[in-house]
Formats: sequence, C-alpha cells, structure tokens
Amino acid sequence: MKKLFFLLLIVGSSALMTGCASGPKYSEMKASFPAVPQDNGRIFFYRTAVLGAAVQPAVTVNGKEIGTAQPEGFFYVDRPAGNYTVETSTEVERRLSLTLETNQTRYVRLNISMGFFIGHVYPELVDNMAGENEISDCHYTGSK
Amino acid sequence: MVCVIFLAGCAFDISYVKQLPATFTASTNNVESFVLDRPVKATLGTGFPTRLNAGTRWQQVGETEYGKVFATKDQVVTVEASNIYEAQLVVSNQFITGFYLIVENKFAPVTRPIRIETQPINPKPDTLK
Repeated sequence: MKKLFFLLLIVGSSALMTGCASGPKYSEMKASFPAVPQDNGRIFFYRTAVLGAAVQPAVTVNGKEIGTAQPEGFFYVDRPAGNYTVETSTEVERRLSLTLETNQTRYVRLNISMGFFIGHVYPELVDNMAGENEISDCHYTGSK
Repeated sequence: MVCVIFLAGCAFDISYVKQLPATFTASTNNVESFVLDRPVKATLGTGFPTRLNAGTRWQQVGETEYGKVFATKDQVVTVEASNIYEAQLVVSNQFITGFYLIVENKFAPVTRPIRIETQPINPKPDTLK
C-alpha cells in the first residue's frame, strides 16, 4: 500500500512537472528582450498558477493563435497600436478586450477558475507593477 | 435538474455586462482633470465590482451622451463579468454614471449613480484664494 502511494506520488509529480514551462526565466531574459518595433507596443502573457496544469488552452489575439497558457510560463507579442481582443477557450470561451498604444507595455495574466468538467483559463489585464512582479519567475515558452 | 443548471452555467456566459450604444467624441481642448479623493466601488450588477483607487489622477479624454469620459494612467480600469473589458470612467455632474468600453465603443451603466469627491488637478486661479 505504501509503495503504491509513493508510486502515485511520483507519477503525479512527474505529470505536474511536465506540464510546467521550462525555458529561461523572465528575470533572466529581461535585459535581452529585443526592442519593440516602431509604432508597436508589447503585450506580455503569463500564467503563475500550477493548479489545473493539464489545462493549457491556446491564447488568441484578434482570432490569431499566439501562444499557450502553460503553468509558470510567459510569452509576448508586439503589435501595432490599436484595439485587441484576447481569447482563451476551454469548455467555455473567455475574452479580454484591451487597447495598446505605441511603446506601451501591457501585462495579461492567465488565471484559472473552476469549471464543470475542467478548469477555465481566463485572461485578465493587470497593472504593470503587479504584472512585472508576478511574471519574474515565469519561464519563457515562446509565441507562435 | 441540478446538473442541467450547472452545465448551463459552465457552458455559456453566466454574467453579462449591460452594454448600451454610445457616441464618443474625443476631447481636444478645455479638458477637465481631477484626483479621486476616496476609493470607489462601482457595481454593474455583474457580481464583479470595479474598484477605483483613492489618489488616482483622471483626465478627460472625451464625451458621450452619458457624461464626460475620463482616463487614468494610475491604475488599470476594467469592467468584468464572464468576459473582461478595458474601460474608462463616465462622470456626469460629479456622479459616476458608468463606464465607456473602449474597444466595444459601448456604455456600461452602473446599477446606481455614484457621487464622487474629487480635487481638481489644475485649480483655476480664483479657486486658490
């Protein structure tokens, strides 16, 4: 019985670990981010929650897939100034609408909430100070 | 029956932001600005109130038929239900009437107008006496 418990613990931990992002940390990459292209702004997306690690929906911006909501992961996109809709889709779709100005940096946290069958991931716009603080330990996953 | 209710709740948007058509006109001159004296909890009947922090500075960016539209760089302003919308504050005669949803170009009214206490950022000379 004890062996079975430890086996389940190892399998469970492995499943959780494999679900998490493993690239370099934001804090390590910060100094080497490329400059934002002219007339563009930058949007960072990050997910701190490990809860519901198996739920990793695609993230779209104005209908185009740009990344995946991996636990402890982050990615970013540069876009021209304008209006944007961020969307995640699990058993439901969750949207965030936001504006982006030239040279502006925005942070979108990908939260997880309870669902009926699986958890829901929803995008939330956060203050830059909170965003930069929360994202620092997240690992780069790359964008599409 | 309970399962059906749960399923309905999870599969669809369970909370909506009421959105009314709005005609937004951008401000060019004679814009107002103020500092919010006290924190404000604005409810829109969604179960997710929008909180405005004391000390935030607001500048008029436009006008709609529901009031003057103010924006701030001191905090993120969103209106939340099942989805989240970036928003700007709409004030008429010192009362918050609702929020202007920037991307949707719509007005989201608060459940009840909220009186706010403010300080002008650039007081006119006669108010300094």
